[in-house]
Amino acid sequence: MTAPANPERVLAINDLNVWFNTGRGAAQTTSHVVRGVTLNLAPGDRLGLVGESGSGKTTTILAAMGLLPSSAEVAGQILLNDRDILRGGEQTVAPHRWKDISMVFQGAMSALNPVRTIGWQIAEAMQIHGIAKGEDARHRVAGLLDLVGIRQTGASQYPHQMSGGMRQRAMIAMALACEPRVLLADEPTTALDVIVQRQILQLLVDLSERLNLALILVTHDLGVVAQTCQHGAVMLDGEVVEQGPVSDLYRQPRHPYTRRLFEAAPDIRAAATRPRAAADTDPRQLKADRLLSVNGLTVSYLRSRTFKDYFRGRHQDALIAVNDFSLTVARGEMVALVGGSGSGKTTALQAILGMVRPVRGSILLNGRDVSTLGHRQWRPLRRQVQMIYQDPYEALDLRFRVRSTLEEPLWAHGIRTSAKEREALVAEALDRVELSPADQYLNRFPHELSGGQRQRVAIAASLVLRPHLLLADEPVSMLDVSVRNGVLQLLDRLRSGSEMGILMVTHDLSTAAAYADRIVVMNKGRIVEQGGIAEVVTRPRDAYTKALLASIPDPDPEAGKGDPAG
Amino acid sequence: MTDERPQTAYAEPIANVGVSAVLRQAIRHRSALIGAAIVAFFVLLALISPLIEPYPTRETTCAVFEPPSPQHWLGCDDGGVDVLSLVLRGGRISMIVGAVATMIAIGIGATVGVLSGYFGGWLDIVLMRITDYFLVVPQIVLMIVIAAVWGPSLSHVIVVIGILMWTSTARLVRSQVKSLRERIFIKRAESLGASHFRIILHHILPQVGPLLVANTVLAITVAIFNETALAFLGLSDPTAITWGTIMEHAFDRAAVSSGAWWAIVPAGVSVAILVMGFYMLGKSIEDALNPRLEVSYLSIHGWKMRPLAGRGPDAT
Amino acid sequence: MRSAPYVWKRVGFALLTVYVSLTFNFLLFRVLPGSPVSRISRVPNASSELKDALIAQFGLDKSLGEQYLLYLQQTLHGNLGISYANRQPVIDNLVVAFSNTIPMVMTGTVLALVIGIVLGVASAVRRGGYIDHLGTNIAVLFYAFPTQFLGMMILIFFAGTLPSAGMSDPFAIGGSGWENLVDRIRHMILPVLTLVLTLFAENVLIVRSAMLETLGEDYILTARAKGVSRRRLIRAHALPNALLPIVTLVAMSLGTIVTGAILIEVIFSWPGIGRTLYMAVLKRDYPMLQGGFLAITIVVIAFNLVADLIYFKLDPRITS
Repeated sequence: MTAPANPERVLAINDLNVWFNTGRGAAQTTSHVVRGVTLNLAPGDRLGLVGESGSGKTTTILAAMGLLPSSAEVAGQILLNDRDILRGGEQTVAPHRWKDISMVFQGAMSALNPVRTIGWQIAEAMQIHGIAKGEDARHRVAGLLDLVGIRQTGASQYPHQMSGGMRQRAMIAMALACEPRVLLADEPTTALDVIVQRQILQLLVDLSERLNLALILVTHDLGVVAQTCQHGAVMLDGEVVEQGPVSDLYRQPRHPYTRRLFEAAPDIRAAATRPRAAADTDPRQLKADRLLSVNGLTVSYLRSRTFKDYFRGRHQDALIAVNDFSLTVARGEMVALVGGSGSGKTTALQAILGMVRPVRGSILLNGRDVSTLGHRQWRPLRRQVQMIYQDPYEALDLRFRVRSTLEEPLWAHGIRTSAKEREALVAEALDRVELSPADQYLNRFPHELSGGQRQRVAIAASLVLRPHLLLADEPVSMLDVSVRNGVLQLLDRLRSGSEMGILMVTHDLSTAAAYADRIVVMNKGRIVEQGGIAEVVTRPRDAYTKALLASIPDPDPEAGKGDPAG
Repeated sequence: MTDERPQTAYAEPIANVGVSAVLRQAIRHRSALIGAAIVAFFVLLALISPLIEPYPTRETTCAVFEPPSPQHWLGCDDGGVDVLSLVLRGGRISMIVGAVATMIAIGIGATVGVLSGYFGGWLDIVLMRITDYFLVVPQIVLMIVIAAVWGPSLSHVIVVIGILMWTSTARLVRSQVKSLRERIFIKRAESLGASHFRIILHHILPQVGPLLVANTVLAITVAIFNETALAFLGLSDPTAITWGTIMEHAFDRAAVSSGAWWAIVPAGVSVAILVMGFYMLGKSIEDALNPRLEVSYLSIHGWKMRPLAGRGPDAT
Repeated sequence: MRSAPYVWKRVGFALLTVYVSLTFNFLLFRVLPGSPVSRISRVPNASSELKDALIAQFGLDKSLGEQYLLYLQQTLHGNLGISYANRQPVIDNLVVAFSNTIPMVMTGTVLALVIGIVLGVASAVRRGGYIDHLGTNIAVLFYAFPTQFLGMMILIFFAGTLPSAGMSDPFAIGGSGWENLVDRIRHMILPVLTLVLTLFAENVLIVRSAMLETLGEDYILTARAKGVSRRRLIRAHALPNALLPIVTLVAMSLGTIVTGAILIEVIFSWPGIGRTLYMAVLKRDYPMLQGGFLAITIVVIAFNLVADLIYFKLDPRITS
């Protein structure tokens, strides 16, 4: 290894371009995915690479690792200690891979080999690069696991035996196995719980400081960058449209896209103090307007009995998902149900939707108890409650055109109005979700729509039946940051000035604070706190609510700096 | 997960969208075209075989085991019957047996699979135990036993093959339906208030369709094999002319020791070509259904550096 | 211990399947319309004592329920009746037949598996290359030929050079042990060759697609990023994962193996279980047919159980 010629710069990506060729022969098309990206990193530098899906951010770091597929063509330089490792293609990149530049992949579950233990997979990297083997490797693995906060026994575990957060830590330990100088982390916290996310990010920051490691953090979340990195680079359509210190990006964004991204990130403090109409409503009137009233709801999943249980005469023990859950939603009100993954919030929603039978408790919908109804009795009532799902791409049947998707509820409920009336109902629903003129959308398939439009179509399909209650399960978490606000504002408009109430499940307290009238916080199947926005955000009583509040990555880099935990 | 990275590394390609889309994708492969052409050719031959058979199939028109000649292109069999005529006629019946048996098998398999996967619970447990049993039992032996008990007849052969071949289809369909059942768009349709019947008809079946098509095409190969095997063991109708009985007669009447390869080869090669056609077609559809096969992190070729004109020292 | 529930479940299922087969066997031969009721006792040229003994053993003069219980009892004691053909106990015939079949079929199956894995992996890792095209095309070609056709062609080609019927030379009595062994092996070559040609093709295709699917997994990319060499990547990362579907599919192809074995034994006059079954059909030897069916079923169930246990050993994710 040569001594770094320029100690100030360990990695430089210089005018990097990537093209992908699809198809063969005459049908071949080339797309220019990364366009002239230039980035510089000094040891200990943390750079956040921000962009939405398809912006080329992942392709950029895969190019730096030399891991692009054969359909890729690359131009430009990747300078490692001022030496171009890209020049000779695979042959010149390979020796540096993992040893000098290593990577934390997105989705540790699929990125780890399921039939090998964590210890084996980490030790393998050391063996291959001749760093350590046998007993020595075992010691080093133990040291690494300790460094990332995994117990000693973790080495002999298989990936499926670990929690999501632990797996991601193991992935980081593996990336550090050969003591690299640069670490590329590709969305290392997606699909993780907010609180776990914060821990993983904190770990990355600590490691970069302790090991003087240069870090590129790829993410779609500006808040994450602001809280963990010194520099940020914003990517749009394969180009870096703006880069600089995070405080500059936040305080004086030059590119309109950067500004839009920051505006899209809700500011929880401002939201908490926002005056709102619902607060003025007379509580007595609210009671009369009660649309949904859940009392003492308990839902449990039965674990199936094993042979052993039969022999020992053990009864089925239940895993209680939702415990003694009570909540109300009034007409025209939006209530946010906030909690981490596994808190039971989605199960509660499923119970209200009648898809899961509760063990105890009542669910009053327009004053009628629906908790004990069977499949057949529920069906006509489904008109009144409609649900919006997290991922619109998953929620829509991809073979259905927008028209069929919107007409399906009518068919399902036997509302066989004339073709003209159906047309009118569908057009009206599309108009309400601001997809007009309707003709432009009616004959499209879901894949011909953008993410935001897809979610709007899903919402429109729910509105066709004119429901009284709209349930929304993380309605924007799968959408690109820049379109989230639009969809949330739409939901906000739909319920205000109408009879429809909305119960929205979210993991994001700041979204809840920005749009809901009331917040209900859930943890481990129980409601731990509920109240008005200002109350919950500014004067949280429960420890879990406080932890949630603390784990929100603030887009303001200065925020939280005084916080000892941050 | 919706992150649409254009076929870069480590992104799962988007799921398939329906029968026609998958078929369109499959037909782009050369092997699918060849397979379809072969199958079409044989179907055509079967349809017009009565018109083009050069000699009657039940009469002696030449000497016993007469070698191929300009009069009898493929020679004659042990009874002095023209082999070309026999093979043309045999293909007809073999294909009917294969097709009908496959329809029975796919019908049972798809029904069991959809019911089991969609409704789950006790129905699933009962149906799957039955399926598991049929999967484990060596089917050819069961066929032999049933055919032996019932007596040799072509319709028995069809029914026996049909009712013993459905298990793998049931398993495949069940696992597909079971995973579809967990998909959000199915759950959404249910929460919308759609009936089970409607969901199965409009959402489940169209998704399972391409898989069933592939499975049907591949199952025909197995059905044709089974017919020839049963015929070879003397369990088919000995008077029916199928590719299986043609080979059986030849073996029985010592075509092998007489070196009369022409009594065996035409029927055997016909089976092989037809099976190959069905296999290529079915496999292409199956592969089009599995986008995972498109990605390989071990491809022989790697990414390339693009020579940039007019830049750096390499400028030309 | 993670192993207990899974292993017991599989063993339990195997035993249940055997029981179902026993019952099915009973019903098939006695209750089905037109089936040979009480044919067990109609051994040709049997003395009246033997007939009486069989009627007593199987309770052929009793009600169906009692017959069933007696049948189970007798079967558990290994009494499957007397073969019509040679008037020997069915069980003795079966033991001889299986001891002849197993060496031949095992050799063929193992060879086909080895060729299948080698060729399948080679095709998958050099996908789209020369080996892949050659490998898959040969595999599809051999997959498409019926076993009996391959067998007959091999007979025609090699009839003069290698022994083509039976297991040993009937005129070479009294040779040394070594000579007998060589004779045996020479007789095995053609049947085994046919079996290998029948089976390897499907294995190649199964292994190839299992490998291809595995090579598209994210952990393969991770391993590549770690610097794992091509060889090691195939051996230590891809193959252990690809083996899982391979084990399942090979277990499911046991049926093909049985079919192939029966046809091959008939063609090469190999005095194994397949030929025994074939002869039983020809001679309407129902006790033999019944016993053979039961025996093959149990053997296949046993191999399925083995496959389940191998799968369990290979996949740490299985807990129940």
